[in-house]
Amino acid sequence: MSNRTNYTIQESPHFEILSENQKERIFNGMMRTLQYTGANVHHEGARELFKKAGCKIDGIRVYFPPEVILQALSTVPPVTEIFPWDGDESKKITVEKKRSYFGPGPTPPNFIDTETLERRPYLRKDATIVARVCDALPNMGYVQSLGSISDVTNGLADVYEFADMVRNTTTPIMSWSFTREGCRDIHRMAIAMAGGEEEFRQRPNYIFYGEPISPLVSDFHAIDKAMYCAEHRIPQVYSPCAIGGGTVPASHAGQIVVALSESMVGVIAAQLINPGTCVIIGGVQSILDMRYSIYSYGAPELSLLSAALTEVVHYCGLPMYSTSGCTDTKKMDVQSAMEASLSINAAMMSGANFVHDNGYTESGLTGDIFQTVMDDEIIAMARIVENGVEVSDETMAVDQINNVGPGGHYLYEDHTMKWFRAHWMPTLMDRNSYENWEAQGRKTMKDRILEKTRDLISNYEGPRDKVPEKADREIERILQEAEERIKKEQPKKQD
Amino acid sequence: MKMNQTINKSTRFRVLSEDQIEQIFYSALEILERTGGNVYHEGALELFKNSNAVVRGNNVRIPTTMVEEALNFYPRKITLKGRNGKRSLHLQKDTVTFGTGSDLPFTYDRETGERRRTVYNDIRNAGRLVDALSHYDFFMSHGIVGDAPNPQTYDRHQFMAMLEGCTKPMVLTSVDGEGLEDLWRMGCLIQGGEEEFRLNPLFVAYIEPISPLKNDRTAVEKMLFAAEKNIPAMYTPCPSSGATAPATIAGMLVQSLAETLLAIVMCHLKSPGMPLIMGGVTTLLDMRMSTYSYGAPELSLASAANTDISKWLNLLMFSTGGCTDAKILDEQAAAEQMMNLFYSYLSGANLIHDVGYIDHGTNASLESLVLNQEMMGMVKQFGKGINTDDDHLALGLIEKQGPGGEYVTTDHTFDHWKEWYMPELQDRSDYETWKKNGSKSMSDRINEKTQDLLDNYQTEPIDDKLKEELHKIVEDADKRHS
Repeated sequence: MSNRTNYTIQESPHFEILSENQKERIFNGMMRTLQYTGANVHHEGARELFKKAGCKIDGIRVYFPPEVILQALSTVPPVTEIFPWDGDESKKITVEKKRSYFGPGPTPPNFIDTETLERRPYLRKDATIVARVCDALPNMGYVQSLGSISDVTNGLADVYEFADMVRNTTTPIMSWSFTREGCRDIHRMAIAMAGGEEEFRQRPNYIFYGEPISPLVSDFHAIDKAMYCAEHRIPQVYSPCAIGGGTVPASHAGQIVVALSESMVGVIAAQLINPGTCVIIGGVQSILDMRYSIYSYGAPELSLLSAALTEVVHYCGLPMYSTSGCTDTKKMDVQSAMEASLSINAAMMSGANFVHDNGYTESGLTGDIFQTVMDDEIIAMARIVENGVEVSDETMAVDQINNVGPGGHYLYEDHTMKWFRAHWMPTLMDRNSYENWEAQGRKTMKDRILEKTRDLISNYEGPRDKVPEKADREIERILQEAEERIKKEQPKKQD
Repeated sequence: MKMNQTINKSTRFRVLSEDQIEQIFYSALEILERTGGNVYHEGALELFKNSNAVVRGNNVRIPTTMVEEALNFYPRKITLKGRNGKRSLHLQKDTVTFGTGSDLPFTYDRETGERRRTVYNDIRNAGRLVDALSHYDFFMSHGIVGDAPNPQTYDRHQFMAMLEGCTKPMVLTSVDGEGLEDLWRMGCLIQGGEEEFRLNPLFVAYIEPISPLKNDRTAVEKMLFAAEKNIPAMYTPCPSSGATAPATIAGMLVQSLAETLLAIVMCHLKSPGMPLIMGGVTTLLDMRMSTYSYGAPELSLASAANTDISKWLNLLMFSTGGCTDAKILDEQAAAEQMMNLFYSYLSGANLIHDVGYIDHGTNASLESLVLNQEMMGMVKQFGKGINTDDDHLALGLIEKQGPGGEYVTTDHTFDHWKEWYMPELQDRSDYETWKKNGSKSMSDRINEKTQDLLDNYQTEPIDDKLKEELHKIVEDADKRHS
């Protein structure tokens, strides 16, 4: 094949939901919506910024003319890199079109206790568990906490979460916060881990997550935090949880138009403040189950909407924050497995950049690290499909087929010895014969997941001991200062 | 309206580029010219001897021109009609149908939770479920009749069990040429004669070569009979990558294509234009466990690639999905089955079989059939893609509701939420409701639904007179082989 010309290969599968015309329509729908419907921005400073850029302002409503949107899209970076704090290149994240990283999600109130398996409020110790387990899992490309800490000073769950997680995983974290002050504390910790401000600028080591509210509203804190991130060139997510039939139209195309439009407000603000800063958009896209009034995390529509939005977001030249590995079940079971399997494979095929919520159960209300561990295995399987079929003289093996001949076998061929290593080896999926499976105690997938997860929790070394002492001290100091800050803020918060 | 608008009405998916498919095709042709295949059937060897093929003993090598010529003669569309009188199974490019697999020796016993030998009634029950569940388009036996009086005639009994349970079109396995002839005669009785069967076939005959590149006597016998009578048939290699095929996916595809092309030429020599379907269960041998994996991601990938090849060759494709290595219907089963259902559907294979298989294709499970019904529904919903007409873009509505508005009470929502998938078994209640209703797991709900169908679903019975005639064929076969 070495002298074949005009030869194009499909290195990875081709997957597509929308045609070019369809992407164009949705893009134009976004342009039209921002121009004529506009968005509410509850932040005077942001409105000032938009006004200066040429937007029409009417009270809290901002109308974005096409040139402002196109200008913003012209300065978004095609590629951004995010680095693990210990310099491990294998955990580096490259944010570019069609390259996927999977991770858990932020902030459910509940967590499945890893000992008792009961559902209870998320505790501080859980952040460490999630960080350590995800650090060990090969297919978690970035980390979120799977919960909102309930047992620290009110208003500091965000800061404690980051402080504990960053010291227990080198995998880049996606953090969140209540306010700009929380942002600042987290950013100072990240700088401590990077070894200085300049080092952080060279090698940013985390991503910040914030969200507008559907439809078309940026509340004060959301846009305020987005502006902070832009000022400090922190790669950030600005994406809504759009509820089809609730906060956005029930038709998928309409939902995508709204979700895209409201995210674009954050993109424009960030590019006006600091052109070239990385903003990731997308968000949770699913439907309201009309029978139960539940925002469904297991619906096939979530997969379809997310994959289609990914195509439009990439069409805009932006990276996509997508969703998978989540479920409406209350406990990990057959339903959570099938829902996760669909959404993970769909997200993988779509090529979304950050795919979150792996480990969400109960429609996003409960974090379950066991589900994350199962998702990790499914992601590995989806990667095999992403890798496609290599077609070459070596892999087509015409000579080997000829040597083995009709009725022969390949078990002892050198070619087999070399290539069977490329076969994917499961860690949780059982491939025993029935007899061996029985002899080994008839374990179910759930049994194996519990074993693997608990083993990681107890025995995985993790990077805690590698944290530089200086950074460790600095983080403790920042936590103390945050406590003092919140004491001062508390009276303000009451009103 | 606008000009030059191209709209995706469904998802689009492919694994191989056209150039890659060509390379695999050339390599398969190279195998046929250089290595050839072995054929253990005198009649077939005679056919090859009287052609431009080169026969040495049992080995047959075939020049490319013969393959290219034969390829022109196969139909691009086959439509099957069930015994319910509906021409419901439309096999044509990128039109997907789902069905079960066949001949599982064991059955997961719902009473004991243990596995045991499959019997006649298990197949009847599997048929009833397939008949009842909307996403199943065709029926393969799921299990094998382990309590037939004679292994030489089990296929006729199996067909009877299938017919009793299910009225949909079928894919049938058979013992040998004589068995297939009996099944065909039974099919002709049902469809109203040989001529009607030709235009309204009731079933496709499932036939397989032995990888690598071996065609045993009974398989060839069945193929030639199918060719003679124009019975739709599939020749389905089941290579296991690393054992009976190269350890690389591309190598496995080359070899199984060569196996298919040999059959294509052979059937063409016998009777040009028979309704032949390309097939394949293309997966790997797990080297640590020495098991043939039905859950490996490589099965999904290789099957989708194989479907790409079939479409390029203008052949219909029999592919694989909805199957797992898990021994019971647990999270592994759901994750693996969903994954291979997803890719087989996206790839556009025409008949996707083995839906519901557990335990590496050795164990039958009625619950698994029920679970897959839900998963097929989800996959199809995903495959519908996104409608981007003005009504669905809803720009006017978005403007009207404005920032901070709501959509729950709009007519637009009322009109469109019906487009969403309505799950039957997936739980979407809130935590308290779920707890109040007994904290049921998906497995509990699957079990209930299965039991409900078994208790209440009635398959349209077979006409008494017809049944008698069918029985006569079965009895005669038993007599011949007693």
